[in-house]
Amino acid sequence: MRDIFFDLSVRSVRLNFLRSLLASIGIVIGVVAISSMGMLGTNMQLMVKDQLTTGINIITITPDVVRAEPGSSVSSVSGITDIQLREIRDAAGVNEVIPIDRTNTQFSIGSNDGRGSIYGLDPADIKNIMNISEGSTLRGESDAIVGATIASRFDVKIGTRIKIGEPNISVTRPVIRVVGILPAAGLSTSNGINSDNAIIVSDTWYTGQFGGGNVYDQVNVYLKDVGTLTEVEDAIDKKVNRNKDVVRISDSSSRITSISSTLSSLTMFILAIGSISLLVAATSIFNVMMMSVSERVQEIGILLSIGTEKGEIRRMFLYEALILGIIGAGIGGIMSIIIGYSVVSAMIGNTAYFFLPESIVYIPAGMIIGMIVCIVSGLYPAWRASNMDPIDALRSE
Amino acid sequence: MNGTPLIQFADVSKVYHLESGDLTALNHITLDINEGEFVALMGPSGSGKSTMMNQLGILDIPTTGEIFIAGKNVAKMTNLERTHMRRDVIGYVFQKFYLIPLLSAYENVEYPLILKYKKRDIAGRATAVLRSVGFDENMSAHRPNQLSGGQQQRVAIARALVNDPKILLCDEPTGNLDRKTGFQIMDILVDLNKQGKTVILVTHDPKIAEYAHRTIQLEDGRVVES
Repeated sequence: MRDIFFDLSVRSVRLNFLRSLLASIGIVIGVVAISSMGMLGTNMQLMVKDQLTTGINIITITPDVVRAEPGSSVSSVSGITDIQLREIRDAAGVNEVIPIDRTNTQFSIGSNDGRGSIYGLDPADIKNIMNISEGSTLRGESDAIVGATIASRFDVKIGTRIKIGEPNISVTRPVIRVVGILPAAGLSTSNGINSDNAIIVSDTWYTGQFGGGNVYDQVNVYLKDVGTLTEVEDAIDKKVNRNKDVVRISDSSSRITSISSTLSSLTMFILAIGSISLLVAATSIFNVMMMSVSERVQEIGILLSIGTEKGEIRRMFLYEALILGIIGAGIGGIMSIIIGYSVVSAMIGNTAYFFLPESIVYIPAGMIIGMIVCIVSGLYPAWRASNMDPIDALRSE
Repeated sequence: MNGTPLIQFADVSKVYHLESGDLTALNHITLDINEGEFVALMGPSGSGKSTMMNQLGILDIPTTGEIFIAGKNVAKMTNLERTHMRRDVIGYVFQKFYLIPLLSAYENVEYPLILKYKKRDIAGRATAVLRSVGFDENMSAHRPNQLSGGQQQRVAIARALVNDPKILLCDEPTGNLDRKTGFQIMDILVDLNKQGKTVILVTHDPKIAEYAHRTIQLEDGRVVES
C-alpha cells in the first residue's frame, strides 16, 4: 500500500516544485563536492601507492655509518666488501643481487656544467632492472645511459658526449658517450635507483675512474616474491651483521606507510572542505521545510483535528525532507560521476583508478550522507508541525 | 440507547490566561446531551460557543470540572487516546469546510478510513458515503478548490461520516453557503439525525436553529436556556 502521508508529501513537493528543486540543488552540490573530493583524494592515494609499490620488492643494503671503536682504527675502506657481497648472495638465495657503485660528480655536456649521481653497474645486470626508453644498453667500455631529468635538461641525444669530473684546464677529463636514455621514473623507484638524475656507466669504467674495485656503495636485492621481504632481510642481517652492524638493510615499506598516511589526511582535509557545502545545503533544506510547515499550518490543524496522530504528521514532513534528499542525492550521484571523473582526469591526469571500488564508493556514500543531512534538517520542522495546537492551527489563515 | 447521556458536562469551566487578565470562556456549565439528539448551540459572539465546540470536539480540556464523552473522562485520557476519539467517535463539519487541499474529494473522504485502518479503502465505503450525501461522483477526482461551496460541504460531511461516528459536530455548516444550498445541507443533517447520529450544531441563524430539537443558548460562558 502506498502511504497516504507519502502521497501528501509528494504532492506538497510537486506543488512547490521550484522551491523544492532549488533546495535540492544545495544537496546536489553537497553530494557532488563530497563525492568528487573523496574520489580525487582516493585516486591520488591509489596512484601514488601504485607508483611506490613498484619498488617495494627491493631491499637496499648500504654500509653502516662507520663508528670508530675506542682504541681501534677506522677501517680504511667504507663500503660493502666482496666478502660481504658473497654473504649477501648466500643469504638472498634465489633472489637477484646486484652490487652498485655510486658517487656524486660534476659533469659537462657541451658548454653546460651539471651535477648528478653516477652509477657503476655490471652491463649484464642493467638489462634486468632497467627499461631503456630510447637507444640501447651499454656495449662499449665508455658507453653511458642517462636518466630522464638529465636528458631533458641538457638536451641529451643518443651520441651526446659527457665529460665527467670537475672542469680543470690542466687535466683532460674522461668522456663517455650516451647510448641509452631512461624513462621518467618520478616517485617510482622500480629498480631501486633514483634514475632520473643519474648517469649509468659500466662497473669497469667506473672503477677505472673512481677506484673501489672490490668495494661497493650499495647492494640491491630484487625479491622474486615480495612476501619474503622480512624473511630475506632477517637472513641477510644474521649473516652479514653477525658480530656487529656493518650494513644497513632498508626497504621502502616504511616510506609507503608515511606517504600514505599523509595522503589520507590530505583526503580527509579536502573531504572536510566538501562537507561545508553540505552544511549550507542543510540550512537551505531546513529553511524550505520551515516554509512548508508555516504555509501549511491550517492544513496541519485540519489533519490534527480530525484525528491524525502526531507521529503521522511528523512522518509526513520527514517524507518531504526525504523526497528532497532523494531528488538531490539522485541528481548529485549522476553528476558526481561526470564531475568527479572530470576533476580526477584534470587534476591527476589518470583515471585508471576511478572505477575501482575504493574510489567509486564515494558516490553512494555521498548520496547517503546527502539524504541523512536532509532528514536531519527536517527533524525540527517535522517536530514543530506535529506539536502544534490544533485549535490555534485551524484558526490561522 | 442506555440511560447515561452520550455527552456530560459536570461543572465545566474554561479559563484563558491572557496578558490582559483571566478570561472565563465557560463558567460552571453542567449539561447533558443524549444519544440521538439534534442540538443547536446559539449565542452572540464571545459567548463561549467556540470554546464549547472545542471541548465537545476533544480538541481541548476544561480548566475545572469534568467532561464525559461516550463514557470517557476527556481530561484523564492521553493525547493519543484523545486523537483516536476524534478520529472514531466525532465527525467534524466546519464553516470553511477545511478539506485537505492536496487531496481529491474522494481522497478527503478516504483519509479518516486510512487513519483508522492504516490501509486504503478497498470496500468502496468512501464512495458509498459520498453518494449518500448527494455528491456528484464525476467530481470525485477533483481537488477542493475545483468544487463549489455546496459540493465541498457535502465532501466535508462525507468525511465526517466515513468512520461512522456517534457525534456530528457542525460549526456554522451553512455559514459560507447560499440559502438554498444551506437548506440542502441541513436536510442532509436532519436525515443523519434520523439515522441515529447525535448532531450538535453551532449557528447564528434562527432559521437554521429551527431544525434542531433543542436549543442551548449561551451568554458570557453560561447556559441561559436549554
